[in-house]
Amino acid sequence: MAKLVLSLDGNVLGYHFLEKERFGIGRKPSNELHIDDSSVSKEHAVIVTVGNDQILEDLGSTNGTLVNGIKIKKHILQNNDAIDIGRYQLRYINQKARPGVDSDRTIMMMPVMNPRRGEGRSETSAQTSGQAGAAVSVARAANDIFPLGGIQGLEGPHAGQTLELNRPLATFGKEGIQVAVINRRPHGYSITRVEGKKQPLVNGLAISEEAQLLQDGDQIEVGGEILRFFLKKQA
Amino acid sequence: MSVRSALEITTITDPGIVRSFNEDTIATEPDLGLALVADGMGGYKAGDVASGMAATIMVSELKRQLRETTPTENNITEILISSANRANRAIYQAAQASPQHHGMGTTLVAAVFHDNRLHYSHIGDSRLYRLRRGKLKVLTQDHSILHEQVALGLISNDDAKTSHNRNLVTRALGVEAQSQCEAQSLVVEQGDIYLLCSDGLNDMVDDANIELAMNALQANLPLTARQLVMMANDNGGHDNISAILIKVLAPFPAIEASGGMLSRLFGWLK
Repeated sequence: MAKLVLSLDGNVLGYHFLEKERFGIGRKPSNELHIDDSSVSKEHAVIVTVGNDQILEDLGSTNGTLVNGIKIKKHILQNNDAIDIGRYQLRYINQKARPGVDSDRTIMMMPVMNPRRGEGRSETSAQTSGQAGAAVSVARAANDIFPLGGIQGLEGPHAGQTLELNRPLATFGKEGIQVAVINRRPHGYSITRVEGKKQPLVNGLAISEEAQLLQDGDQIEVGGEILRFFLKKQA
Repeated sequence: MSVRSALEITTITDPGIVRSFNEDTIATEPDLGLALVADGMGGYKAGDVASGMAATIMVSELKRQLRETTPTENNITEILISSANRANRAIYQAAQASPQHHGMGTTLVAAVFHDNRLHYSHIGDSRLYRLRRGKLKVLTQDHSILHEQVALGLISNDDAKTSHNRNLVTRALGVEAQSQCEAQSLVVEQGDIYLLCSDGLNDMVDDANIELAMNALQANLPLTARQLVMMANDNGGHDNISAILIKVLAPFPAIEASGGMLSRLFGWLK
């Protein structure tokens, strides 16, 4: 179970387990964590548990709530987060709340607010569709850490240009005639044929629908343009 | 044009990098314009049983019911729901009957293309997306704790990236006596590309990059599918990844069962 370690000036004052769905922190005695100190507001902050998440929210306190030195309004707690409440510090300990993608298996859980049960169909969806608008996305741009490179246009529409290829893929060539895709991947870049009867060329050799690794300086011919691939030196 | 020749369909499923076996099941019936993805969950290999049962029962029920009735705009969504209910009961009973299958269940996203419309249903966090004129849109709302947290304003869309609730679904087939599948329909346009997928794709690849791949590579649909899986695996491949891509090549108006084009033509000449 998740716990908070309360300390002041580096001295540990005690442990508090987050057993309740709503865990109040403040100067008022009704709080689950009651801190009788003028630097703490009466109702300073609250930690709400939803599923595996414990969400820390500042309740408009005078001195604010900080997580790892940054003032927050709302924050999903991560293992080892350091929380500042007035002069006091709280450390959040929860081995299950590590940052990053977890590979836990999917499990079923009752809804946060039990929606009308036993119904399906469009009436329900028509009502829900307005709420969140877009889908919730949890995917992170992992490719930020992949090697970075790009192309220099030698002939054709990109002639004289230098393009950094910072997204996972980019296509070159002429639509419907001859197209190749260059992928940015964990170990470098690869090139693959997308369409066209004639194969694009890398250093004069035809490429296929099997991805082929690109080397620094490779020359690519596709859809009437000539490109030189380059890899940036890693910092 | 028959629905089979009006649609280009490509499928892919991959265990990902982390897991040793694949508990997703995919199925297509091009003659019926049917495609589905099920993402199983629960004990040792039980998820595989649940998603497999869901796919088999959905396909046979939809086949039977679509052939027995004259499909109309309204009743196809009904048929999708009743087929899902039947799959739900069967999985639920199987789970109750055997201890090693106890607690198994599965998500489902299913699509039926008929008479220039797409009818679709879903339960859990498997998704249906549509690429239309270069823009990607999600057509299903996940039945998940994370989705509810955002919908209720407990956390922002941005916060969701640091949530630990990504694996919690609020609805699934086979875990309760009654299932709560959602179904709806829309008119398709020529050039639309639909994507059915398990969360192993959209948890690892953000929507902007799914859109990028579908836009840039749509001339080669099988390559698009492989690239989606590759991106998910390049980002960690924490879960099984399944995707079905369906491109609308031409309109597919229904032809009356009584006789089709020729009799309509003769009827018109009379």
